Amino acid sequence: MDFRLTDEEEAFRKEVQDFLAESLPDDWLGVDPDGHSEQAVEELHQFDLEMRRKLAAKGWLGLQWPKQYGGHEAPMMKQFILEQELIYRGAPYWALSAALMTGDFIMQFGTEEQKKRFLPPIARGEVQWLVGMSEPDAGSDLANLQLRAAGQEDCFVLNGQKTWQTGAHYADWVLVYARTDPEVRKHRGITTFIVDLSTPGITMRQIPQMTGHHAFCEVFYDNVRVPKENVLGEVNGGWQVALFAVATEKSFGHWLINSGRRDLEMLVQYCKETYVNGQPLGKDPIIRSRLAQIAIEIEVGRNLGCRLNWMATKGMPIIAEACQMRPFGGAILQRLANLGVQILGLYGQLDEESKWVKLRGRMKYLHLASAAMTIEGGTNEASKNTVASLGLGLPREPKPAPKS
Amino acid sequence: MDLSFSEEQEMLWKSARDFLADKCPKTLVREMEGDEKGYVPELWKEMADLGWIGLPFPEQYGGGGFNFLDLVVLLEEMGRACLPGPFISTVVLGGLPIAEWGTEEQKKDILAKVCEGKAILTWALTEPSARYEAGAVQVKATPEGDDYVISGTKLFVHDANVADYIIVVARTAERANAEEGITLFIVDGKSPGISTVVLRTIAGDKQCEVTLDKVKVPKGNILGQVDQGWGMVKKIMEWAALAKAAEMMGGAQQVMEMTIDYAKERVQFDRPIGSFQIIQHYLADMSIDVDSSRVSLHKAAWMVSEGIPCTKEISVIKGWISEAYRRVTAQAHQIHGAIGFTKDHDLELYFRRAKAGELFYGDADFHREIVAQQLGL
Repeated sequence: MDFRLTDEEEAFRKEVQDFLAESLPDDWLGVDPDGHSEQAVEELHQFDLEMRRKLAAKGWLGLQWPKQYGGHEAPMMKQFILEQELIYRGAPYWALSAALMTGDFIMQFGTEEQKKRFLPPIARGEVQWLVGMSEPDAGSDLANLQLRAAGQEDCFVLNGQKTWQTGAHYADWVLVYARTDPEVRKHRGITTFIVDLSTPGITMRQIPQMTGHHAFCEVFYDNVRVPKENVLGEVNGGWQVALFAVATEKSFGHWLINSGRRDLEMLVQYCKETYVNGQPLGKDPIIRSRLAQIAIEIEVGRNLGCRLNWMATKGMPIIAEACQMRPFGGAILQRLANLGVQILGLYGQLDEESKWVKLRGRMKYLHLASAAMTIEGGTNEASKNTVASLGLGLPREPKPAPKS
Repeated sequence: MDLSFSEEQEMLWKSARDFLADKCPKTLVREMEGDEKGYVPELWKEMADLGWIGLPFPEQYGGGGFNFLDLVVLLEEMGRACLPGPFISTVVLGGLPIAEWGTEEQKKDILAKVCEGKAILTWALTEPSARYEAGAVQVKATPEGDDYVISGTKLFVHDANVADYIIVVARTAERANAEEGITLFIVDGKSPGISTVVLRTIAGDKQCEVTLDKVKVPKGNILGQVDQGWGMVKKIMEWAALAKAAEMMGGAQQVMEMTIDYAKERVQFDRPIGSFQIIQHYLADMSIDVDSSRVSLHKAAWMVSEGIPCTKEISVIKGWISEAYRRVTAQAHQIHGAIGFTKDHDLELYFRRAKAGELFYGDADFHREIVAQQLGL
């Protein structure tokens, strides 16, 4: 047993840390790994693009892909190290991750032409990707998706809508899950399509979130023609792609925990520097205990994530473990935000733009943003269902009898 | 990075599980709760013959030369089996301190006997104030010729009723800083002036009141340096907390397995209760508590084995598992319903041990304070 990184891995980590120290402004507050900030604020989006270009220039995108597709054939651990450091510092990562993830799907299911065409631009940091899954009637129940893809001679025609599409208004390409066969059982009639978002017939409407950002979009498909060669995998084989996505997703929960480290450090620093009645806030027994509890949960979460990553490098099945991390991570950030607002007291309410604001309104923002963190990327409930059935072997809930 | 166990550790784990499944049935566990000594000498000898009692001690004294992580592998299985007896007392509270700071003579004399299964050890730190800080050490040791004379009461001393040697933490000097002036003495358990009363506890473990009435201890029995014992005390408390966390880990894993099995078997409303979503979510939560504890436990144990300072990591796991194991046992009872509440059912053995483990060398509040200090607050 050895929890240490190799010398080479440590050196890479240091390289990434140095890169971030140079690339991030000194007073960088950090964005969350949910993509909400940089997909909503134009200035941050430009910074995201810049970071992506710099990362590509360092040769750090598509780390695990074959060189012939623009990749670097690096071991998985290197990807984990890069991710960890980026997220810990709160560098924009979401869009990059979506592109890399779709790239992984293309590696797994794509034709040679598709790999040659789509992977190099991702590795060069030139394109933004999106995955189109959720619809108004298909959230946790993805198989219930309705967006129709009707096969014609030379193309498929897409009609319907997707929702909760983070950063769609900035994205270039989208991997859309659509229904190609409405006659068969729901999950059997789904196909994934690679769609150019500049195709005629695609319109969008940005959705305001309770944080004040407009990172989400509804994306409407009105007779959108998609070439047949843009089918990813088999026609009606889209569920395999979804399963692969679930099997390989390394857990949003783990990212949240890593991101939380930064916020905790900020709170600890604040409590050391802020004096009340002649002594630092950090000496207050209640505040000490609560901060320590968050620190313990983050540490425990990091260790769990470390094991998840190690299992992934060994090719072990990780779905149940990834589903354990999701509720764990989301809940920690909610508690951290709650504590942060409590520590700031009345100041915890103030918006970043307000006079008298402290910590640039970060805790108020995080409190609002964290309401989604036990929902997005897989709800707590759906995740726990998977832990129970896949991880613990518990029998599935019987489906209700069909209404006569 | 490699989070797997070595082949040796896998073998130790498997053999411990098999041995304890055979030799430590729940009937024995229950019997020992009411037993005067609290352990079976024959079983103790068998464990010594397996090399378990001497596991972490140097081979030149008859030990196995294994490290703390190996010890944790064993302790997890002991926790799973609810093994009664003075293992942690002997190996961790008494043995490790002697191995670490003892003179050659002390090591040769005592450790050899321990490894052969011929000596039970423990230590006596806490007093009626029941606190772990330096100021709570009030029992006095006064120099008299070639000896020290110790008088006072120690409380919650594990296995003092059967210990051949008790490491007594006493005050040898009054200083402005309470951490100075503390000395550790290896006291012969049969010394005149020592009397022991076994307390009746929630987990049926043998915690004792130890009264020392002018107990003479030769100067040669001092462990480490006079007046400089507090640093050792802190280290021993870390080892104690980590060892207990390992035991608790094994118990938590067993409780989860029992509860999953029950949820699959128990039928109500024409279906196994494990098919109801709420039970599934309770068990998912339980698995998060159990699996998260395990990695953090192994990380701390690995750090101890590598000699990497890990005060924070030890407080992280003991602080975490103190509450996690409690949640696990409470949730397990909820899922088992009434049957789990009966004395006949094994679950209550773990419920009680979860509480005792929580209190042993620092509950969550205690360790949160240490983590706060480590954060620099």
